[in-house]
Amino acid sequence: MYRNDTVLPFFGILFGVALWYMAYLDGEHIARLAGHTPEELSVGQLGLITFGIVFFLFGAIGYISAWLEGSELRPGKHEPPGGVVPMVVIFLLVLLLAGLSGLFVNAIVYGLTEGPVKPAFMGQLAAAILLVMTLLLVVFKKFFVPDEVLVEDEHSEVPW
Amino acid sequence: MYRWLDERLSLSRLNKKFLRKAFPVHHSFFLGEITMFAFITLVLTGVFLSFNYEPSTRLIKHLGKEVPAAYASVLYIDSLPFGAVLRSVHHWSASIMIAAAFLHLLRILISGAYKKPREINWLLGLALLGLSVVTSFTGYSLPFDAFSVTATQIGYGIGASMPYMGEWISQLIFGGEYPTLHSIPRVYSLHVLWFPLLLAALIGAHMLVMLKQKHTQPAYAEKVAPGKILGVPMMPQQGFMMGVLFLLYLAVVFFIAGTWIAHPVEVFGPPTASTPAVKPDWYFIWIYGILQIIPGDLKVSLPFGAVMNSEFIGGVMIPGILGVVAVLLPFLDTRKTKLRYMELPTRHPVRTSVTFALLAFMLTTTLAGWKEEFGFSNGQLWAIIIISTLATYLVSYLIIISYWGRPPKGEAEEA
Repeated sequence: MYRNDTVLPFFGILFGVALWYMAYLDGEHIARLAGHTPEELSVGQLGLITFGIVFFLFGAIGYISAWLEGSELRPGKHEPPGGVVPMVVIFLLVLLLAGLSGLFVNAIVYGLTEGPVKPAFMGQLAAAILLVMTLLLVVFKKFFVPDEVLVEDEHSEVPW
Repeated sequence: MYRWLDERLSLSRLNKKFLRKAFPVHHSFFLGEITMFAFITLVLTGVFLSFNYEPSTRLIKHLGKEVPAAYASVLYIDSLPFGAVLRSVHHWSASIMIAAAFLHLLRILISGAYKKPREINWLLGLALLGLSVVTSFTGYSLPFDAFSVTATQIGYGIGASMPYMGEWISQLIFGGEYPTLHSIPRVYSLHVLWFPLLLAALIGAHMLVMLKQKHTQPAYAEKVAPGKILGVPMMPQQGFMMGVLFLLYLAVVFFIAGTWIAHPVEVFGPPTASTPAVKPDWYFIWIYGILQIIPGDLKVSLPFGAVMNSEFIGGVMIPGILGVVAVLLPFLDTRKTKLRYMELPTRHPVRTSVTFALLAFMLTTTLAGWKEEFGFSNGQLWAIIIISTLATYLVSYLIIISYWGRPPKGEAEEA
């Protein structure tokens, strides 16, 4: 609670992975008892994975925030470093994004004309596209967006 | 174009007044944003679902079998390209919204951010958490499959157990004694219109009050700019961070939702006369656990023939007591001066230990929800719940004061 460090985000990711693993073990246990692997998740698995997702997201954005914004803010304007390497990374990510998006559109058209496409494939493809977009935004923010830290009066006119 | 709009709408003034607002930077603030992005995802995926869902229980022919129209329309959604993924994203996002709101509430609790002047926002946050649970519960009944009908009946029974008005409230929500012909249209209207509108209004009020009162700041900000708000402007910096989090949220949720379809209705099948053995959704399991360990024949008679039965005591009264304590908290644990900086949990050992004890209580009552599967007796479960709750309080209190020491008297009272 003192500064924007990575201590709690580290435990967030650790908890997230541990909860997901607990859900996996729960599934294995249920499969052993049932004699087959059920097609649906139990309510226990749903709860564990849900908290796993939230802890993982909290940890991941905590690390990203510490990298992009620092652990303590310092008032003033800070110019971005820029550079050729991040530019090349952005170019490659845009190419990857275009390729994945094309594949996604193809999969939708295939689903409409030929027959159903497995939800796991569609979901993971959409996740890959969104992850590339996240990385694009992170790299762009880190290397090309000027930073500014404000010091504002407590009693402002916002919103009234 | 910008100049044309600026001359007419004074956009530069809007930019100066709102988009330059300083946002303090701390990872724990993202829990509230995860809750908000889950809500936005729910609205967006909900629009797609509402285009294809039929809120009716009339029987129709589907692949040679007579099934309720609502159930058949969910099968139709799942057959659309990407349809099953979007429905699964909707279900997962509902769960995530509740979990993230709960963790956000715990963060507010352990950092003392409910104190003066933020009492109103604490109450709005509690209302948001409660309404999120109710909205999610109403959505649970809509697929009208064997699992959802039985799980909704458990909730209906708990609601109807309230003395004097329970039956009336439950029948108002479900259009009669659940399940009737009117249940699905009534619940559908509440789920897609009235509850989301109310949630949006409460979220708007929550944001507005937060903008006026400002965030509590990380403690180091007092050293850097005492008495001021230290932060990054809403645009572009905070906007970029929100964009990163929203995209990351969607990436994780699409991956999980595609890999594990949250509620595969074709597995559960349409409702049948025989009741399948199901449990309510995970956020109700702790209440279900309490119901499992109190005697089923418990009854307290009230005036005018009303009765407090075990369903009411376990399902409404005990969670209700916790709710009342939460509502009263900012007025009981208060301070004279305005709270500007997040309090360190280690400087407030009692509050932090009580929070951990509350978590232990909820975890062990959740465990009681699997009483039959684990083969525990009621006595054993009561012992586990009471001992775990007290031991968690004691151990966390001792760890905090032995590692970080007791806070000075003045600090404990004021900061």
